[in-house]
Amino acid sequence: MLGAQRGDRDAFKTLFERYHRRAYALAFGVLRHPDDAMDVVQDAFIKAHKYLDKFEGNSSFYTWLYRIVMNLAIDHLRKHRRAKPVELDETRIDNDGDDPLLPRILGGNPGRALVDKQIRGRIDQALDELSENHRAVLVMRELEGLSYEDMAQAMSCSKGTIMSRLFHARRNMQKRLLDLVDNPSAELVADLTGGGTGDDAPANDEAPVRSAPAARSRP
Amino acid sequence: MSQPPRASSDLELMEHADGEHADGERARADVAARLEGDPDARAKVEAIRQMGELVRGHLELAADAVHDAKFAAMWRRIDDQLEAPTTGLWSRMARWFDRYRSHVITGAVSAGAVAALALILRPSAPDMGTQGRGGAAIDVRPVALRATPEIDALDTPGGTSTVINLDDEDGHTTVIWVTPADTVEGI
Repeated sequence: MLGAQRGDRDAFKTLFERYHRRAYALAFGVLRHPDDAMDVVQDAFIKAHKYLDKFEGNSSFYTWLYRIVMNLAIDHLRKHRRAKPVELDETRIDNDGDDPLLPRILGGNPGRALVDKQIRGRIDQALDELSENHRAVLVMRELEGLSYEDMAQAMSCSKGTIMSRLFHARRNMQKRLLDLVDNPSAELVADLTGGGTGDDAPANDEAPVRSAPAARSRP
Repeated sequence: MSQPPRASSDLELMEHADGEHADGERARADVAARLEGDPDARAKVEAIRQMGELVRGHLELAADAVHDAKFAAMWRRIDDQLEAPTTGLWSRMARWFDRYRSHVITGAVSAGAVAALALILRPSAPDMGTQGRGGAAIDVRPVALRATPEIDALDTPGGTSTVINLDDEDGHTTVIWVTPADTVEGI
């Protein structure tokens, strides 16, 4: 980091090589367009280099970088806002309403579930269908583990609004992925239980990814 | 007879899963105790955590799937645009001047042109002869020009004329009425 601040390009390249994919994951999660995400990451590194002398080292370089990425991604969303229905539940939380969080678990092992193309396709689709604000909050929380307070600062809104967005984002994701749990295709079941018809299951996939969702024990 | 513990709200469960209890450690311990006897609430907390793992894992895999060549090309574009970081005041000023050189030059030329125009077009120096002793300006126009000329009569050979001077709220108006002596129809 110090080398990069002194103008050593190789040192800055090392920072780029260390963090570019992580920065891309964040930008892509928020923007959902690979080319837009690449542009934002590129601009973020250029901006980071430009203001390196202002970086005081109070946080890690990546913490500083992801704030730049997030700001650029949010700016990009504002500038290129595509027509999307406004989420009416933006600032309201139904704690005890008829649309609560679901006690459903998509497979006992999310890491294993991710080897399945169908599940990943559905996660993509579900993320695409979230409103931009809901998606940005979900990605910041799940990918970077940002606190509610940090997210409120990043999005220039109240902590309560962040909590509401996160709550609804998670619930909407659950609803959109639910049919994978309740009505999985025969092919998916075969894949996930090692039945052998799927091409996506790795060869050493011995243990079943799941038999039945754990949450099905719900009374 | 003690009351059964109240069920945790979904919002509390979310805060618990995120480690974000607004009321601190005590609230965390309360929710944790309630979860012990509430399998449905436990499943919700677990579902939140697993959803997080799914989203994180999915996005990391998406980033891993981008070909190295794309990021290598990105680095080349970044490298082309990097400026050497500078620290001293003079070097910062030099960088600022380099960045805005054309604006600075254009601004300086424009300011010079405006100053030159101001010098050329400013009112000429006052004539000392028109200054009174106390510095007050003296009106040197001919007396005839100080007041509006007034027409009392008009000589119109071969006809008669009438001059009418009117003063009203619009100011002074002079109407001249000329009547030829011999008007021939058709001319």
